[in-house]
Amino acid sequence: MNLATLSVKFREGLERALRSRRANDQTEQETRPGRRNLIAGAAAGVATIIGTLATSLLKPASAKTENGRKIQYGMVIDIRRCIGCHACTVACKSEFNVALGVNRSWVEYVEKGTYPNVGRSFLPRLCNHCSEPSCVYVCPTNATYKREQDGIVVVDQGLCIGCKYCIQACPYDARFMDPHTGWIEKCDFCIHRVSKGLDPACVNTCVGGARIFGDLGDPESLVSRLIAQNRVTVLRGEMGTFPNVYYIAADHTDEVDGRRPEARNVRVLTHRREAQRR
Amino acid sequence: MEHEVAWHFPVIWYLYLAGLGAGAVVVAAFAFLGNMKQTSEHYHYSRMARYGAVLGPIPLIVGVSLLIFELGQPSRPLNLYKVINLSPMSIGSWFLLFFIITSIIYAITFMLPAFTGHERLRKTIGNLQHALSLLNIPLGLGVAIYTGVLLGAMPSRPLWNSPILALLFMISALSTGIAAIIITRVVCHRKAADALPDRRLRPHGRRMSSKRPGRRYHETGYLLATTDLILICLELIAIFLFIMFAHLTVGNLKYAIAVILPGGAMADTFWIGVILIGLVLPAIVELYAVFPRLIYNVPFVAHRSVEFLVALAVLIGGFMLRYVIVIAGQITGPMGI
Repeated sequence: MNLATLSVKFREGLERALRSRRANDQTEQETRPGRRNLIAGAAAGVATIIGTLATSLLKPASAKTENGRKIQYGMVIDIRRCIGCHACTVACKSEFNVALGVNRSWVEYVEKGTYPNVGRSFLPRLCNHCSEPSCVYVCPTNATYKREQDGIVVVDQGLCIGCKYCIQACPYDARFMDPHTGWIEKCDFCIHRVSKGLDPACVNTCVGGARIFGDLGDPESLVSRLIAQNRVTVLRGEMGTFPNVYYIAADHTDEVDGRRPEARNVRVLTHRREAQRR
Repeated sequence: MEHEVAWHFPVIWYLYLAGLGAGAVVVAAFAFLGNMKQTSEHYHYSRMARYGAVLGPIPLIVGVSLLIFELGQPSRPLNLYKVINLSPMSIGSWFLLFFIITSIIYAITFMLPAFTGHERLRKTIGNLQHALSLLNIPLGLGVAIYTGVLLGAMPSRPLWNSPILALLFMISALSTGIAAIIITRVVCHRKAADALPDRRLRPHGRRMSSKRPGRRYHETGYLLATTDLILICLELIAIFLFIMFAHLTVGNLKYAIAVILPGGAMADTFWIGVILIGLVLPAIVELYAVFPRLIYNVPFVAHRSVEFLVALAVLIGGFMLRYVIVIAGQITGPMGI
């Protein structure tokens, strides 16, 4: 018996206990009105709070498909095929009517070296839809969560209070506050397109075919095969977030490296309002 | 600075004011429990309890209001109370909700007229105050600590991601709470019997009973000053450990701490605003004031303006600490990509 089934059983037991508690309350209400009633009510309230806490802590691990594997949408970005044209940025902007000055997806340039030995590399960025999303762990209202059916990290704007805690927690700076609504926005892998079997807008528009989208849980998918057959890296793996966006031949040079005496002249162009990576 | 700062003055003020209010109430509750028998020689404990309890909820409410205005719509924060999860903000907001309620009731019990005629009523209020003191200490400390845990919960903010930050914020909260009590006391208290300047003080070592009614004002001041001094020393130790261990490590934290070390972007604000104004100068003045009483049992006398200025410096230092930590944490991030 694995943890998921265990927690489901626990939850069922808890719910049954709660139900019988409520039934007891009702019978008591009929027989003994007054102070006793209040105590029982308070006890039921406490039990509900504990139940909420317990169920929120012991969520079933994830939904699985009938053949026992998990769907986790992910992306492989092949930097060798990226020409830095910003088509993905523009497609994303027009797909969601993203406000001026903020981006769900963007392309960074990394320039380094001293003339004539210079190089420029591109680094398309988006939400990594991490397997251990730190933004989800800090959200106080459960407004941001990882969808069990496809592993996409989304924001429920009905619950979001705009506290910006998730902006602080995200190591990829993938979140921003919509200047018009005051809610937190982020890349959602174009759920509306993906659920209809289409590719996300940025993948659809990518002229060099650098962005490849698919199910990482399916060993036969193109992304799984690319990850298996190439040397892939992720961004800021040391943050322990287990990101699901993989890069082939990405240049991980940062401006921090430019401060070292032996690697002069590093320039990072983020092409965002935030001129520096955080 | 080109960095985007998501949490700015409303949040900084909130972290500061919530800590200050919680600190004042916790100090008041401790002081109340210190004089449960209401004896006259521990009169100053009751005074301290009264000031702290009445004062505490005010900064708390101001801070929370700032936060609600910062969020834009007043109805939004209600979403916090639909769930409990392990987010420090969720736990903290529940703590805050209960603490605001209990601290307001606590303040009201101290503002009631003394029902001298009604023995039973007075006893009930006393019991209520006792119970609320016991309740407000853990709740208040919870609020004070959570402001540090809130910041420390994220690896993506290496400067904040330190276990000692919560401790530092808690000590600072208690220290600023006491400073707020001192200021209120200096501004509001001195009148009638206690207002007499201590003319019988003799410089050459004649010891006077500190239980004499006219000395009560100064004895309360002594208690507050020594407590504040101890807390300032603890705070200095916590800051020292915070900086030293950040500097001794490698990687993100060492890279981030450089921003408040000499040569960093926020070094001046930190070393002048927090260390010098907020900690070292008040500590020296308070040490100078309490030393004769502490060692030679000479009656403690502190000039009103000195007390006021020291407390003001502690309050400024407490704010600067929140300011520097919150901003420095946001202009630094993990190194590398």
